[in-house]
Amino acid sequence: MTKFLVRRLLLSVPILLGVSLVVFITIKIIPGDPVASMLGPTSTPEAREALTARLGLDQPLPVQYLSWLAAMFQGDLGQSIAQQRPVLGLVADAFVNTLWLTAFSAVLAVVLGLVLGAVAALRRGRVAATVSNALALFSISTPQYTIGLLLIIVLANGTGWFPVSGMYSAIGGGTWGDLLWHLVLPGITAALVPAGIIARMFRSTVLDVMSMDFIDSYRARGLSERRILWHAFHNTTPTLLTVAGLQVGYLLGGVVFVETVFSWPGLGQLVFDSISKRDLAVIQSGVMVAAFAFVLINVVVDLLHSLIDPRVRA
Amino acid sequence: MTTQAPALAPAAVSRPRTARRARRLPAPALVSAVVLAAVAALTLLAPLISPYGPLEGDLAARLQPIGSPGHLLGTDGQGRDVLTRLLHGARPSLLAGLLPVVFAAAVGIVLGLVAALGHPRVHTLVMRSLDVLYAFPAVLLAIAIAAALGSGISNAIIALAVILVPPVARVTESEAMRIKSADFMAAAQVSGAGRVSIALRQVLPNVAPGVVVYATALVGLSIVYAAGLSYLGLGVSPPTAEWGVMVSEMQQYLFTAPSLLLVPAVAILVVSVAFNVLGDGLRDFFNVRTDAS
Repeated sequence: MTKFLVRRLLLSVPILLGVSLVVFITIKIIPGDPVASMLGPTSTPEAREALTARLGLDQPLPVQYLSWLAAMFQGDLGQSIAQQRPVLGLVADAFVNTLWLTAFSAVLAVVLGLVLGAVAALRRGRVAATVSNALALFSISTPQYTIGLLLIIVLANGTGWFPVSGMYSAIGGGTWGDLLWHLVLPGITAALVPAGIIARMFRSTVLDVMSMDFIDSYRARGLSERRILWHAFHNTTPTLLTVAGLQVGYLLGGVVFVETVFSWPGLGQLVFDSISKRDLAVIQSGVMVAAFAFVLINVVVDLLHSLIDPRVRA
Repeated sequence: MTTQAPALAPAAVSRPRTARRARRLPAPALVSAVVLAAVAALTLLAPLISPYGPLEGDLAARLQPIGSPGHLLGTDGQGRDVLTRLLHGARPSLLAGLLPVVFAAAVGIVLGLVAALGHPRVHTLVMRSLDVLYAFPAVLLAIAIAAALGSGISNAIIALAVILVPPVARVTESEAMRIKSADFMAAAQVSGAGRVSIALRQVLPNVAPGVVVYATALVGLSIVYAAGLSYLGLGVSPPTAEWGVMVSEMQQYLFTAPSLLLVPAVAILVVSVAFNVLGDGLRDFFNVRTDAS
């Protein structure tokens, strides 16, 4: 088990190095002089030169890359130009906010996906299955930015039941209940696409498993339908885990639209805001953290997978 | 014994019938194809259909509701006809969704074939490089690339193409690896065909249906993302009519004229659903597996 974990972790090292290289190159492509935007239009050439040298931007690109990597290992993600704060704190705060949204949406998505998928598979040919299939199809096809706005119109604008922006109320906020209340609309919005994907995958996996020989043999031995379904479900868990894990990973970095619509102060919004401000250090670190979390989730999924299904460890 | 004859006869008769039914596209997919054809026709005919220009606004007639005389789908915050903008906006919206898939399919097929048929080291290099792109959450990567290249429709298309290449390449690679052990591959090698010739003449025709079906299923997603980039201000820039731009423009009237927001939202949804249904139908029709992972 430990061997499997170590090997899996070692395998993700080159991937993370590749990720850092892609991030570095992407940032270098961004047009505009970061030094000029830091110092403003009235800066003297001498001041710009001095800052360029201080930031190491006059060094060759490979040297810049390595020193960025080395600094990152020491927990130094640089300084945000726009907010005059260390990037580490900014990104960490935003990441935690995104984690709340992701966790809430992931639970919703898995529950909704399992229900829709199970109904579609086990009530085949009936109205309930058709409705489930249609719902799954719509939820994967719906753009998050429009569904978010529609939820605001329908559930918040008319009724005032749910808050439409932010994480806490300005007055009397800050409690767990307040956070949950603010999570409802963005949570539902973010959960729809993964719910649809999980539902479609779960449906086809259940159908696959239910047509396997061991189900027939259980039936021949007179097991109750409920026991048979339990065995079938057990056999779907590896696939379910993989797909659900992947979706959680996508949620971590993919809730940008939801965060924008609902002004959720998460990682996606931080990166997006930093783009217009040319706050390169924040963009770099934000994307790196999202990719790092994504890779880590994949390792955890593989680990759980190997616990459930020993064949994977070989 | 006589009871067996009637039982056998219908079975023998019904077999060709079911076979023929299986060779037809499922009804929802056909409906989707018709819807998409209609959308394409409306897109091409947009300048002929609408009496207004997409940028032509009448500030005296701002935010007219849906169904107003002269403005079937109302007017937006600058008094521009929403139906006109919807029709004119279809072209950039559809192109920004379709082209990334076309580019990604072209690049992905080449990469997948090179990986599957090349030297094992090439295989490792290509597939591990793709793993790096897989390690990014797709939307965030697209946003970062689009931002790095600067806003504009062509840069949005490039950004989306980059995030769509890895899944296409992976599907191509796994299909090609499956075919590699087929007898006709050995026959082609024995007959002295070169690597390129084998890739183009033996492998490509066999992997193409699966990849095309998979790519069709990606178009819906791509259209949603493309409009999303424009919504964020990273794709098509206003005042050009485009569905994502329209959503973003209507958002400020969320509380005063919410129904107007529905127009571009429904347009994106209809096209995206249609492509997804068509993709599902084609997948069943060609009976291909399209698991990227």
